[in-house]
Order: sequence, then structure tokens, then C-alpha cells
Amino acid sequence: MTIIARRLVGHLARGIVMILVVATISFFIVRSIPGDPVAANVQKLIEQGMAPQAAEQATRVLYGFQPSGSLWHQYTDYMLGLLHFNLGQSVTHAGAPVTGVLLEAAKWTVLPVLAGTVLSFLVGIVMGVYAAIRRNGKLGDLLAISGSLLHGVPQYVLGLLLSAIFATLIPILPADGPVDILFDPGFNAGYLGSLVQHAVLPVATYALAAYGGWILAMKSSVVTVLGDDFILAAELRGMKRSIIFRYIARNAILPLFTILALSLGLLLGGAVFIERIFNYPGLGLLLIESITMRDYALMGGAFLLITASIIVANIVADLFYSVIDPRVRSGEEVSA
Amino acid sequence: MKRLAAVVALLGLATTTAACSAGTDDSAGPGGGRIFTTIDASRPGLDASAPANPWNPKGNSFLGYNGMKLAWVKNDLTDPNQFYPGIAASWDIAPDNSSITLHIQPDAKWSDGKPVTAEDVRTSIGIAYTTGSTAFAITPGAAGTAADITIVNDKTVKITQDMKNPSVKFARGVLDNWVVPAHIWGSVLPATFWETLKTSRGEGAAADKARQEILAIGQKVLAFSPPKDVSAGPFTLERVNPGEALLVKNKYFYNAKNVAPTAVKFLNYNGNEQVWNYLSAGKLDYSGFVAAPTDVMNRIKKAPGSHVITGFSPVAVGMAFNQSKKPYDNVHVRRGLAYLIDRAQVTKVASPDGGTPSLTTSGIHQVPAKAWIGDELNRLDPYNHDVAKADAEFAEAGLKKQNGKWLLPDGKPWTVTMTAPSGFSDWVAAQENIKSQLIDAGVNAQVITVADYPVYLQGLSDGQYDVGFWLMALGPAPYDIFQRLYGASNGWTNVAGRVTHSAPGKGGNWMGGPEEIDVKGVGRVNPGELTAELNSASPEEAKPIMAKLAMASNQDLPAIQLWDYVNTTFTNTSRFTDWPPNDSDMLRLPAGVWMQLGMVKVKQ
Repeated sequence: MTIIARRLVGHLARGIVMILVVATISFFIVRSIPGDPVAANVQKLIEQGMAPQAAEQATRVLYGFQPSGSLWHQYTDYMLGLLHFNLGQSVTHAGAPVTGVLLEAAKWTVLPVLAGTVLSFLVGIVMGVYAAIRRNGKLGDLLAISGSLLHGVPQYVLGLLLSAIFATLIPILPADGPVDILFDPGFNAGYLGSLVQHAVLPVATYALAAYGGWILAMKSSVVTVLGDDFILAAELRGMKRSIIFRYIARNAILPLFTILALSLGLLLGGAVFIERIFNYPGLGLLLIESITMRDYALMGGAFLLITASIIVANIVADLFYSVIDPRVRSGEEVSA
Repeated sequence: MKRLAAVVALLGLATTTAACSAGTDDSAGPGGGRIFTTIDASRPGLDASAPANPWNPKGNSFLGYNGMKLAWVKNDLTDPNQFYPGIAASWDIAPDNSSITLHIQPDAKWSDGKPVTAEDVRTSIGIAYTTGSTAFAITPGAAGTAADITIVNDKTVKITQDMKNPSVKFARGVLDNWVVPAHIWGSVLPATFWETLKTSRGEGAAADKARQEILAIGQKVLAFSPPKDVSAGPFTLERVNPGEALLVKNKYFYNAKNVAPTAVKFLNYNGNEQVWNYLSAGKLDYSGFVAAPTDVMNRIKKAPGSHVITGFSPVAVGMAFNQSKKPYDNVHVRRGLAYLIDRAQVTKVASPDGGTPSLTTSGIHQVPAKAWIGDELNRLDPYNHDVAKADAEFAEAGLKKQNGKWLLPDGKPWTVTMTAPSGFSDWVAAQENIKSQLIDAGVNAQVITVADYPVYLQGLSDGQYDVGFWLMALGPAPYDIFQRLYGASNGWTNVAGRVTHSAPGKGGNWMGGPEEIDVKGVGRVNPGELTAELNSASPEEAKPIMAKLAMASNQDLPAIQLWDYVNTTFTNTSRFTDWPPNDSDMLRLPAGVWMQLGMVKVKQ
């Protein structure tokens, strides 16, 4: 068995245990959230004009999707279901399987957040290298300041700003959902174009908010590498500037790959503000809705999905690091 | 690299195409007709994967558009049994409310071309029993429920009321129900359903088992997903994505020739601010009431074509006391607070467009109050802002004033602690204003916000709060109006016509008021029993009872009525005209119903 395969098996075993532990903790935590959702639903129906007894019956039917029995019995059922990827039924969605509800919402979270993360990463590292190399010039200062500024502006402020400028003041981009309903869904230019057009503002918001972090991290990493002896040696040997640049980039980018993998793990955590500002109803809004309704199965499922994605991202980051950094591999071999 | 460039170019082209298509005319619907844009103000959050099922809480069935009811409840001041026709073209209500006979629209058809029949109505009633409905509930002893459903002929259905515990709202309970096609939905009811329903009306283990079976069917109903939307309404659902829903005109609708828009677009929203943005940008042709701060409201009103229609909304908000807690068990403390609070100021701060300061605490919204209790309203104490009277009441209660601060009778500090759920911005703003007013008058006060409404209600029922806000005066039915003050929250329950009272802290009694009140000029009354009498009282019988209850609430103040809500509807006249006028009895119905009735025309 190769070192990477051994690491993979170890990580997977630990990951599964962690997911089970997280599932257990989230199961009990969501059920300990205060509030009486049944009374709230009865009141809501009475306030809408329904007779009290009828409101109680309607609520009993709806909350019948919530598991009953002792907490221990519910827990064992939940864990057994989890082994079959069955996370229970959602009350908010009238008995729909939680797994399906989560997957439906996840795609609208992943699309803008993934695109925004990748875009900000690519732009951030390139600008970060320039900011480091030109750190004594105006361009370097400008790039560093832009990174600091954008890093300090909260995501929701950027979102509101972009929405106000490009959707209201100069209305050239939509901010009202993922796609225009008038286009027939499918692989056609109108529909795809509408998808891209609607994604511009949320992706730009996410990319701008994340860009500052990448440029600053990359700049710092490059500056560290620039001081290494092998760069000095390469310069003394008269190597081409482009080759030296590759040396620098390859070494400086290593820690950023780890951060990128972890960021991708946070993808499913959603970007609640972006989802809300641009009407992208993804996992973040779904989680809030499930908390309001005390939809235990949906809440537990959402927490589990977010946590599992972070655990998986950690494993991937660790394995990926072994692949791209020979020092890690050789270190393993020595210790093995 | 070339492939990547090609993909990017293709996407760019597609985006441009989409931008050009969308940019031509946002209100052009399928077939070139006019598209009507709105939101579902009663339910935030579209769910693209939800079925076109009116009983599903996330269902893509939109009231008045592709979701049809037997009739549409008018926003009448006092009569709960006033309706506009829906699937039922007309109806005959027996003088003693013992039955209602429905006559189905002769030309009503489903969107698949099949006629709407009495069997559709019967199946829909069967489904209503499984999910719970005012006239079709299986809870033993529920008031105003149906006893029998008879198909008279293909277009006529008779429903009789169980007269063991009748309600004047029976007709409303029947007519305010969804109608779905039996040929699509019939399969959700098992063949033995009506037998099971009959058994459920009895007592004992068999009846309990039957009720459980019906509840289990209810869950299947909630989850049922018709293969496609088959509607008898003016529109049918075409498709939904997480941001929008598209409905197209149903050519089989019985009044299709008078429905102007060719399509309706519902926009998704998850919070009020999204609706504010839609309205400010002039995107919505219609929206039900959404609370908005003054500056936002001004921005909305400035949008081109923006128009606000106002009318009566049968609900008020009260500052309710937990009378199990001292010093709120003392009526003089409650009265003192009523004199101290300037309701006009509170309303101006908290709900300037959505409310009118209450004239006094009568338990009834000020508009129908005149119709219900007439001149008696003028004889009630108005509790106008009067510091001297407040001081006298506090002194009467034994409170002491020291260094300008009111203290409890034992000399300990007194703080009025008000609680509200954090999402209810108007309630929080009102409590903050009351806090300032009380502190200025020497009464220490604080506001505590709790996470959300479920937490708030649990706190109330657990008796955790001293003072909280409570919706009251829920009209138009007299019983509904007073059950908010003298119902379960104050200890009284009405099962099978028998009224019982639970002690404070038990059976949902968090208000903890006295079981009997000595009302000046009336004598001792049991307000819970009086309220229960309203369930079956005729309007003439109800009036003196309402007067007694208004006097009881005015004198005893289980809650201080702060403001009476105003119905505010947003419309836009840029694309459509012929909207209902102010104070129309249609205002609480969605625009889809207005279209059914021949209103809302394309602007020429």
C-alpha cells in the first residue's frame, strides 16, 4: 500500500467517526433549541381565521412528519437511517425526504460560491505575486491596499452595494433570482445566458469579498519565498526570469492550496447574505427556514451536510498537500 | 485553450441573447400578452420542487390564481358570512344555519377541459377533513362542523351542520375551502374513507383508531404531488424555479374572457426588504401588505405608477398582562399604565401606515366597534394620555413614588419588562417607545427580545413574561373577536359547547385573569362564558353580549389595545388599471380573485 493510500484509509476512518459524532451532537442540539413550533403554527392558523380545534388538527397532521417516541428511540432510528443516507422527512416541506430537499438547495449555493471562490483565488494569487514582486512600487502598494480594503468590507455590504448600483441605479444586471422564468429550462442559449447573467452579481460579490484574503496571503507567502536561498542561487546562476517566477509561484502557492481546499469545504455552509440579497435560495436560507419552523430533520440534515463537507475538504486538503509537496511525502517515508 | 475560448464566447453570446430578450419588455407574457407580476404575501419562499398542492405548506398553488375556493370571503365589518362567488356560483344558507346548499358555476371547467362537478366538491371536502378545516374537523366537540354531505345533483351539494355545537360561522367554514379535481385527487382518499369518517365521529377505541387513520391520510394529502397542475382557476402553473413561478391563463376558466393578463409571474422573497426593493423599482403590479419603515414607504410611493389602497383590517395589537405576576394582578396598575401610554405616539413610531391608534380598549377594532356596540363605545373610558390619572391609579394600587420613581408597595424597585419576538419589528419599535414614555413618567421599563415567534409563544405559555404583545379583535365573527381575550389564553376552553375554566398557569392560561368580573352597571359576568355564547348567537343576540364584553375589557384591561391595523395593499398603475377603491371589501383577497371578478385591466 502506498503512503497516500495508507493516509487515505486513515483519514476516511477518522472522517466517518467524526461524521457520526457530529450527527449525534447535532441530533441532540437541534432538539434542545427552545421554542414551541406546534403552538406557533396553531396560533398562525387561528390568526388566519381557522377555528382553534381545526388549527390544532391541521398542526397535528403537519407535525406528524416529526418523529415521535422516546428521544433514544428517535436517535437510533436516525442513525440507522443515516447509514442508508436517509435523513428523515421535512416538516416544512410536508414530508419530502430531507436528502432531496438539501440537494435541491445545494446546487444554488454551490454555483455562485464555487464560481466566486475559484475566480477570487485565480485573480488573488496572480495579483498577490505581482504585489510581492512590486512591493516597493506604486502597483504593489495599490494591489495591497485594494486587498486590505476589500478584505475589510463585509460580504453583505458589497452585495448591497453591487445590487444598488447594477440592479437599481444602472439596471443592467438582475438581482432577483437564479434565472428568468420566461426562458424554457434546458440547454438553450436563452436559458443558459439568463443563468450566467443572473449569476454575475452574486459571483462578483463573493469573488470581491474573498479576493482580499487571497491577495494578502499570496503576497505574504511570495515575500517569504523571495528571501529563500534557492531563489538567490537561481538568480546568481543567471536563470531566466520566467523560470524563477515559476519557482516562486510553485513554492508560495502551497499554503494557499490548503486554504483553498478548506474554503471549498465551506461551500455548502452557504452565503446567507448573498443568497438573500440576490434571491438565490440555497442552503443558507434553507437552514434559517428550518430553524424558524423547528424542522428538526431538515436542521440536522443541513448541519450534517455542512460539517461533512468540511471534514471531506480537510481530508482532500491533506492528501492534496502530500501530492503537490514532495517534502511531505519524503517526510512520511522517513518516519515510516 | 481554443476550446476554453469557444466556451467563454458561447456563454457570452448566450448572456447577451438573454439580456436582449429580457430587456425588451419585462411585462410581455407568453403569446405577447401582458404579464402580471406579484408576490405571495402570505408565504415567503418559493419552493421549485414543491407540488401544485394547496394543502402543502410550500405548495405551488396560489390562492385566487390556480388555487380555487368555493367562495371568497368578503372583508365585511361584522358579518362573517359574506362572500364573492368562486367555484360556487351561489348558495342558500338555512335561517338557523343548520345547512348550506351550494350551486356550482354551470360553466366551471378544469384546465384539462373536464367539467367541475359535485363529486369534485365532495372529494375536496373529504380531503379537508383529513388536513383539518373549520367546518370539516374531526376533533370531537369542535364547534361549527359538518354532519353530512349530500350530492343533490351534478352541480348541487348540501352540507348540514352538527347542531350539537353550532357556530354562526358554519357557512364561512364550508365556503372557505379549496376545491380540487376528483379525477386527479380521488386516489388519496381510500375507498373506505367515508365509513372511517363516520366511525371517527363516535366515541371509544374504534373512533380513536378512525381519527388516527384520517390523520395519516392527511399526511399523504400534504405530500401528494399531482403529475401536473389541473386548476379551475383563471391560471395554471407552468413552471417554477427558486426565484420565480410562472402561471399561464386557463382558457377553460368560466370567466376567462374577463381575465386580462395572459400570465402571472410570482417573485420569490425571503424577507421584507426584497419586497421593498421590488416595489421601489416598480416591478410588482400588486402586493399584499408588507410592513415598511416610513422612509422605505416614502421610497415605494415615489416609484412610477405606485399606488397604495387602504382599508379595514380586522385585527388589533394589545399590550397583554400576565396577571399571575405582581403588580399586574392589580387592575389599578394596568389602568395606570393605560393612562400613561400615549397610543398615538406609539402608533406613529411603530406602525404609521399599517395602523390607527385605538380609540380605547374595547376588545373590538374601532371600525366594527361602532356597528357592534353603537353609543356604548362613547361611554367607555378612552384612557387618554393623562399622567395625573395614572398617578392616582398607581397610588390606589399601593405603589409608592420616591425621588420621582414608582416603587412596588413593599418599597422594592418596579420595572415593567416587556417581551417581543425579534423579527416583529413593529412590536419591538412600539415597546421601545413605550419604554421611553414610561421612564419619562418615573416607571422603570425594559424591553427583552426573544429569538423568534415559537420561543415567544413558549415563553408566554410558560408564564415567563410579565408583559407581551398579543393580537386581538380578530374579526369579523363576534366569537373570534373576544376569544383572543377570553379564550384559551385566559383559561376558557369550549369543547362540545361546554365551557370550562383552567386556573392560571394551567391549560394554556397565561393571562391569568379572574374567572368573573364585577362590571360597573352590569354586575358579575363570566367573560369566557359570554364569549362562548357568541359562537351561536345571531347578530342581534350578539350585540348586547358584545357590549358587556367591551365594558368588561375596558374596565378590567387584560390587555391595553394599542393600535388597530389598517389593510395596506400596494398596486402599480403603470401596466394595469381598474383596481378596487379604498375601503373595498375585496382588499384582503388576492388580485387573482379581483381578476376573476372582472377587475384589473391592461392599461391602454
